[in-house]
Amino acid sequence: MTSELDGIDLQLLLPELVMTLGLAAIIIIPNLGDAKFRIPLTSLRVPVLIGGTRFPATRDPRLPNWMTLATLSAALAASTMALLDPPSSGQVGNALEVDQFSSLLTNLFICVLILCTVSATQRLPSDPDAPAPSEGDDEESESSKTAALYDNRRQADFHILLLTLGLGMSLMAKSTHLFMLFVCLELASLSSYVLVGFHKESKEGGEAGTKYFIVGSVASAIGIYGMSLLYLWSGDLSVSGLSQSWQSMESLDPIAAAGVGMMLVAFGFKVGAAPFHLAIPDAYSGTSSMVAGVLATASKAMGFVALFRLLLTIAMPASGPAFWYGTLAVISVITMTWGNLAALSSDNPKRVFAYSSVAHAGYMLAAVSAIGSGIAEPAAQELIVMAVIFHLCVLVLFKMGPFMVLSSIEREGSSHRVSGLNGLASRDPLVAASMFVFMLSLAGVPPFSGFLSKLLMINGIVTVSAGTGGASTILSWATSVNPVFWLAVAVVLNSALSMFYYLRMGMVMFFEPNEDGESSPCNPVVRALIVSMAILSLAFGIGPPSEWLLGLAEDAAAALLS
Amino acid sequence: MILSILSLLPIAVGLLLMALPHILPEGLSSQVSAITRNICMGVALALLAISTWAAATSLSDIDWMNIDFGGYELENTPFEIIPQIGVSWHVGADALSLPMIWLTALVVPLSMLVEWDAKKGHYFHPLLLVMEGAMIGVFVALDLFVFYVFWEMTLIPMFFLILVWGGEDRRYAAMKFFIYTFTASVVMLIGILVMYFNTGSSISDRSFDMIAMLDSGGQMSEGLRHLVWFLLLIGFATKMPSVPVHTWLPDAHVQAPTAGSMILAGVMLKMGAYGFLRVAVTAFPASTVVFTPLLVFLGMASLAYGAWVCMGQSNLKRMVAYSSVSHMGLIFLGIATMQPLGIAGALFMMFAHGIISPLLFAVAGAFKHHYHTLEIGSMRGIAHHSPWLAGHMMLGWMASLGLPMMAGFVAEVAVLIAFWMTFGWLVLLPALTLVITAVYYLTSMQRTIFESNDPHQGNLPDTLHHEPRDITWHENAGMTILGALTILFGILPFFFWDMMSYWSTEVMVQLLADAMQSEGVRP
Repeated sequence: MTSELDGIDLQLLLPELVMTLGLAAIIIIPNLGDAKFRIPLTSLRVPVLIGGTRFPATRDPRLPNWMTLATLSAALAASTMALLDPPSSGQVGNALEVDQFSSLLTNLFICVLILCTVSATQRLPSDPDAPAPSEGDDEESESSKTAALYDNRRQADFHILLLTLGLGMSLMAKSTHLFMLFVCLELASLSSYVLVGFHKESKEGGEAGTKYFIVGSVASAIGIYGMSLLYLWSGDLSVSGLSQSWQSMESLDPIAAAGVGMMLVAFGFKVGAAPFHLAIPDAYSGTSSMVAGVLATASKAMGFVALFRLLLTIAMPASGPAFWYGTLAVISVITMTWGNLAALSSDNPKRVFAYSSVAHAGYMLAAVSAIGSGIAEPAAQELIVMAVIFHLCVLVLFKMGPFMVLSSIEREGSSHRVSGLNGLASRDPLVAASMFVFMLSLAGVPPFSGFLSKLLMINGIVTVSAGTGGASTILSWATSVNPVFWLAVAVVLNSALSMFYYLRMGMVMFFEPNEDGESSPCNPVVRALIVSMAILSLAFGIGPPSEWLLGLAEDAAAALLS
Repeated sequence: MILSILSLLPIAVGLLLMALPHILPEGLSSQVSAITRNICMGVALALLAISTWAAATSLSDIDWMNIDFGGYELENTPFEIIPQIGVSWHVGADALSLPMIWLTALVVPLSMLVEWDAKKGHYFHPLLLVMEGAMIGVFVALDLFVFYVFWEMTLIPMFFLILVWGGEDRRYAAMKFFIYTFTASVVMLIGILVMYFNTGSSISDRSFDMIAMLDSGGQMSEGLRHLVWFLLLIGFATKMPSVPVHTWLPDAHVQAPTAGSMILAGVMLKMGAYGFLRVAVTAFPASTVVFTPLLVFLGMASLAYGAWVCMGQSNLKRMVAYSSVSHMGLIFLGIATMQPLGIAGALFMMFAHGIISPLLFAVAGAFKHHYHTLEIGSMRGIAHHSPWLAGHMMLGWMASLGLPMMAGFVAEVAVLIAFWMTFGWLVLLPALTLVITAVYYLTSMQRTIFESNDPHQGNLPDTLHHEPRDITWHENAGMTILGALTILFGILPFFFWDMMSYWSTEVMVQLLADAMQSEGVRP
């Protein structure tokens, strides 16, 4: 069970090591010069022997943000290297493995966190009522306003949580041992609970955090119980060991099935599948938009990684349908329909996006359940996994994008109304146009990447099922075809349903007058990022960039299923 | 190469022109906005010149008599753009698409001309250009993925055209238009994916290329074939639109700006008929043969219902919109005849309606513009006040009701003769329905153009403060060109008629005859 961490292993884990070092730096550096060392996330201060007051540089409220950006960029570079030049053997000990799948997912997580950090640069006031610096201010009053707005300590806390979230998620993508997987998942989850409740001053923030924490920890507890059942059943928690036991199992062992089912609850909560999604809209609307964006993209991707490991690697029989396939198919249809119907009736853009992310989870679950139907040949399985991975990747663009737009127009910790978007097109046409691109992409309108990814998933489902029916009339064909085919129909009809609320958001931006007349200038960097994300949503939808990303997703799918 | 330019250049130029004012510095951007419409018109005219040249060389060089199934002109060498799922950039034209490409290239600059003074013109004209590129893309694409992408892409500029420049109820109309047609298209997408699945036995063999897709029908079981044909029909019939999925059209037309209506009626509706012939009929001739009664029913229902509803309309644009539904019904009837003459008639109907309906909507738009109303009867005697407008109105309505020597007549006669050849005396049904068309056009003509010289004998809205004037020069120019072409193609239809009739004889009817034989239906 023991393994030495030699040089090669360290290189494989370079992104995580960089994040760990950055984490230590953010804990220590803002305290430099002070006679008391503050324990992060608390008001506890430990006296140290040297020092007086902090240096101006270490007191600077923007420091943690810059440090986090530097750390994440370095980690991104490291993991991109691993992605483009995959190691011949990625084994680290017997619990982690670096391959193209985990590197791609690590890249995804870090990209999301970088976007979140960038959009947090001008956010996070310690005092929600402090005025934001405006364009007309001279340099001095701008810096004093900024200092009043931000608080270095609070900034440090926020970014520490972001980094632990990133660390947990990227290690989790690499785990090939269920225990490791769960520990990393919990590291990420706990950070995300605190991040959701970070605005404890506002009513919504505290409530959202508590709700999310309670539901999440119950789900995790159920999952851990499921894991213990799996351990009871096979005596081994490594993914490969469990997979072997599963394949050699003659008939379905109830203990094993119960274990997998219970873990499905925990991971289902992470991806936002019905009926475990109920805390999600509250969590999104209570927290700041960029954190909601992280939950909707990175956290969801994390849930899917866990689902892949559990369902596709472990609980996949050698032949025939998997026992979870019917349940998952039903859950997926309920999830997408519930998500879309609820989004139709919401007036808070964050809730709309929360429900739309529930619906998207439904689409992906439908694709995953097609794999378990037992009629999918290996090539088709790989196709579907590729489609889901591709969807998770491009989701970063057009799901994080709207949250970044919302983040630039909302006030701290406040929940929001659609009317906040009123007249965005006249205030900032480029951002409004980008937002419209995101909406169309979410709805799956060509030529945007949301269409390509949705098409790939539907195509996967059709590929699995279209060859099954055979009869001479439409009606007899419809009754003889494998029911998986109807999942494709469900996805398509739901896309049409979702069109309504996505268009409504677009309409509000372009055609409602801006009532309160308040225009908050968008940070130029954030603005440039939003616009370039919109352009990328188009580029990954058609043409060479999509080919490149699909190639990466294909390799990742092959690495996962091998 | 030429066709790639035709579809991609206007999209690129249009998007660039819309983005430029936000990127360039203040002074420069206002200068650019000032000449945006001239640039757009220049590009559109260049495209018209290119496509005219392409059509003219095709007419003289290509031996349409001996063209085979799957033969395309002006083809490029396909290159893969998404190799993982077999998507390639492959464009080409044949007798089905060439007239449509030319029509698109014609209607767009004319619609720009008619709305030369549109508000927010630095967005309006570029949007029309994007629209043009997407529509030409639909007609030239020989890869079904690319086809679908362009197909849906046309929705986005049209959505904005209705939403920003539309009438009172524009939001409702724009939403209804987008959601209605989007829903129909995603249903069609399932059909396309099933076809794609049957293009090869393993994933790497499959491709979206048109030829492979059209052959895929042979791999399917009969029930699946019918189902896919049906899914495709839903998508295409909604776009056309045919009764009972036509209800988005009147709303969209009434609310859309003049140029939007012209493009919507002139070209976008033809996309439905084009797609039906290009994909559904060509890939599944047997299903088309089996479901001929359905086509006759849909065509007859559209024709009769559209005409019937027209008689009850008091809104000028709504009346013209329903007349479009009615005329689109003739296309289904033409296809259902399975005769070379009928199919060529259907093709020519697409083309003729593509010239006539923009004229009708240009007239209706000008009427709204100058009299602030669309109510038939609220304004009388425009022949006295706006003689040019009245003249164009007469010409357009006469052409639409199928007066001989006009383009519509050629198509109607061809379809009716073919219908008689196939269905015998049943031809009385469509023929008598066409009489209704004459009734509503003549009635409104009388109530609008003539009857009195006093404009206020109707009840004009209070917003009209000045004496009614005649149309502006650019409206007049656009309408004159359309009117002249209507007569030109009425007297000399053979420019496009020849290639259409060869294509329907050599390609379409061959295909259908084989299918009939295998289905055991009387040829």
